[in-house]
Parts: sequence; structure tokens; C-alpha cells
Amino acid sequence: MHIAAIDHMANNGDSFLHNARPITKVSMALLFLVSLIVTNHIFKALILLAIPIALILLSRVNVREILHLAAYPLVFSILFALIRIQQSWVAGLLVMTKALGAALNMLLLIATTPYTDLFGIFSYVLPGPIIDVFIFTYRSLFILLDKLENMMKSIRLRGGFHPVRILFNLKNTAGALGVMTIHAFDMSERLYRIYSLRGYKGKIPLSREWEPLKPVDGFLLLFSLIVLTGVFIPWNI
Amino acid sequence: MSHIHLPDGVIPPFWWITGLILCLALLWIFAGRIKKDEVRRKIPFAGVIGALMLIFMSVPLGILPVHLNLAVLCGILAGPGLGFVAVFAVNTILALIGHGGFTVIGLNTLLMGGEAILGYYIFRAASGRLGSASSAVTANILALLLSTVLMILIVGTSVGLGEALLPHDHTHESVHAGEDHIDDRENNSESHSGEIKDARFLFLTGWTAVIAVILAGILLESLVTGLIVSFFSKVRPDLLKPAAEG
Repeated sequence: MHIAAIDHMANNGDSFLHNARPITKVSMALLFLVSLIVTNHIFKALILLAIPIALILLSRVNVREILHLAAYPLVFSILFALIRIQQSWVAGLLVMTKALGAALNMLLLIATTPYTDLFGIFSYVLPGPIIDVFIFTYRSLFILLDKLENMMKSIRLRGGFHPVRILFNLKNTAGALGVMTIHAFDMSERLYRIYSLRGYKGKIPLSREWEPLKPVDGFLLLFSLIVLTGVFIPWNI
Repeated sequence: MSHIHLPDGVIPPFWWITGLILCLALLWIFAGRIKKDEVRRKIPFAGVIGALMLIFMSVPLGILPVHLNLAVLCGILAGPGLGFVAVFAVNTILALIGHGGFTVIGLNTLLMGGEAILGYYIFRAASGRLGSASSAVTANILALLLSTVLMILIVGTSVGLGEALLPHDHTHESVHAGEDHIDDRENNSESHSGEIKDARFLFLTGWTAVIAVILAGILLESLVTGLIVSFFSKVRPDLLKPAAEG
């Protein structure tokens, strides 16, 4: 799970992108995503891939973690690229470029924006209870990951895992997942009681105060709009 | 099981936009139901179930090229509405870290959320006649079969049937460097039977390999769900009581 590393980058990073307003970064990510989806020109797609790479380097996030996560969509895009390569190598390259560009674009967003800010932006378009589910999911993920790690270690130490006995392993793993689900249920009840004491009525208040944009926000938005416009212009290249 | 691992830019806009609109419409409907007190109590549980799904997905299944989703278990425990919402949260978080495209969040949620909804109702219907574990296995198998068929139909119709399952090759030359338009749909209606022949899994090939992987994945997920539900029925049977339909 790389979510912990991403969370660390988003909360502890210090760069012009970390300091930009979340609304700017979300708008920029969506504009780049639209640019990538609409382009069918390899040179434009390569430029759109180079932009998030440059921004990732400039934002001084952990490049190794980002590359590790970007490898996943890249591998899946290779499957489709292999199909397209039968038509032309450019088409294959285009599929991979678009997939990698879109993934890096999203990774750049999540690595420079704390999740509470991101869910705060989502709350403009999604109902409150759904945002609450997002927050509870994210919050409990790290706690449960720790529990699972300890539980799997205990199973191995007590001889509950055998390299050859698949059914035996499956039964013990299912038992461990069952125990963890019960832990999770107890945890959710405790969470509900704690939140209820604090006045929870089905909507966690997230900061949605409008903050004035900074020069860096203006620059990023203008840059994204220029890129999107550039995608629609039929350059003679 | 039926999680579309497609990056952005592969599925045509018509499909993912339709999927997103349908998904958001369902989310608004389910969010409206959550206002009821007894359902609201389950919001933290839906969040925790979402976290569990993310963890279950990271459990490797050895030689099988699939991963567990446990969306049906999520539906049985959290109810159809909250199960659907939890699935949406999971898919969005996965898309943000590059696991599946951002544009296919809607389609993925409809498929996996459909498993949660269908699984819940089949489990409720079957648990009157069968035991908890058997009902969970039945619900899981039926829900997964249906969602897998739907996934193949969606990806097959939008991208091409062969692509929905395993990679294959086209021979039609239709893309050139420098062109702003790629006509890559022309061959989609052509027969893909020859291409599926190239698929391999262990000693199996072609359609047999594809179907073997799908069935093995479904059976494994159903078995794990059944074992977990059987465990619950012994230690916390109250968890299996009908969830409020939020």
C-alpha cells in the first residue's frame, strides 16, 4: 500500500504546487485529463506526458513512489498498446502515453493535495454522506492495514500458514479477514459514538470557505487553459 | 472480480460519460436514503468496509491473474445503498492512485456496486432456505457471474470483445503519425475468435483459458466470502441480520 507514502508527501511537501489552492489543482488535473482524452496526436500526447513529469520533479515529491504507482497503469496500457501496435506503432505509443499521462496527472494531484482538501472539493458536487464515507474509508485504512500486518505475522508465527496446503491457508486467511472485519465493525461503532458526541448528524463539516487565489493559482490555471487550447489547435507538425 | 482495469483514453467518451451520469444519479438516490437515522449510524461502517475492500484487493491470489473485491460481502454487511457508496469511494481512491482510469470510475462503480446490490438481495432471499455460508456463496456466484457478463459486454461493445478479456492483434492499418483522427473502431465488429485462440493460462489456451480464469476467480472469491460469513455466523451473527436498505 502506497497510500501512506502519498499521504506523507501531500501533507509534508513544500513546493509551489503544495502551496496552491486545492480548487486550482483539481481544475488543473481535470483540464489536463480532458486534454489527454481528446488528443489523438502523438506529439501533443507526449507534451501532455512531459508536463506532469516536469511538475512532479518541480514539486519535489518522492519520485520513486510515484513511478512505482505509475507502473501499474503503464502495464495495463501495454496490453492495449500491443493491440494497437498491429495497426501502427504510433497508435500503440499513443495508448501508453495517454494512460501514463493521465495516471501521473492524478498522482501529481493526490501527492500535492491533502485528502481532506481533496474531499472538501468533492463536497461541492457530491452529497455530504458520501463525502463522509470517503473520510471514514481513508481514516480507517491506515489503522486496518496495521492490524492486518500484525495479524498475518501472528498467523505465520503460530504455524497457520503452510506453503503447500492451499485450503488450510485459505481457511486461516478467511478467518483473519473475518476477525479484521469484526474489528472494523467495532471500530466503526466507536467512531460513530465519538462523532455523535461531537454533534455528528450525517455530515462532517469540511472547510469550504472561499480563499482568494494566489499568483501561483492564476499561473497554473492560465497554463492549463493554454495547454487545453493548444490541444484543439491543428498544429502543422 | 469485475473491475475494469482500463486506463484513461481507452473507453470511448459515450460509455464512460453515460456510466458516470448513471453512477452519480444512483449516488444521489442512495444519499437521500441515508438521512434516515438507522442508516446514518452505518456511515462509518460503510467507510470502514471501503477500507477493508481496498485491503482485500491487495491480497495476492498466487497464480490467478485476478484479485478479490468482496463487493458482495460489502453489500451483505452494509446494505445495498451504503454498499454502493462504499464501492464508489473505493473506486475513486483507486483511480487517484492510478489503479484504473479516472474516467471509468462510473462504470467500475456500476459493476462492483451492482454486485453489492444484487448480492444483498440474493443473500436475503436465499438465507431463508439455505444456511448463511451457502447463501453467501450462492449470492456471490450469481452476482459475480452477472457483473462479469456485463463487464465483458460493456468493454466488448465499446472497445472490442477480445480486449474485454485478453490482448490480441488487429491487422488493419488505420492510424498514421501526424493524423488527428484515429479510426480504430472499424475492425471491432469483426470476428475475434481467432484472437482469443492465442490466450493462455497454465496448460489451457484460447476461450478455455479465459473461462477457466474467470470461473476460478469467481469460485475463489465466493469461497472466501462463504468462509468469512460462516465465521460471522459463529462469532457475531448479529452482523448478518438484514441491513437497513440505505
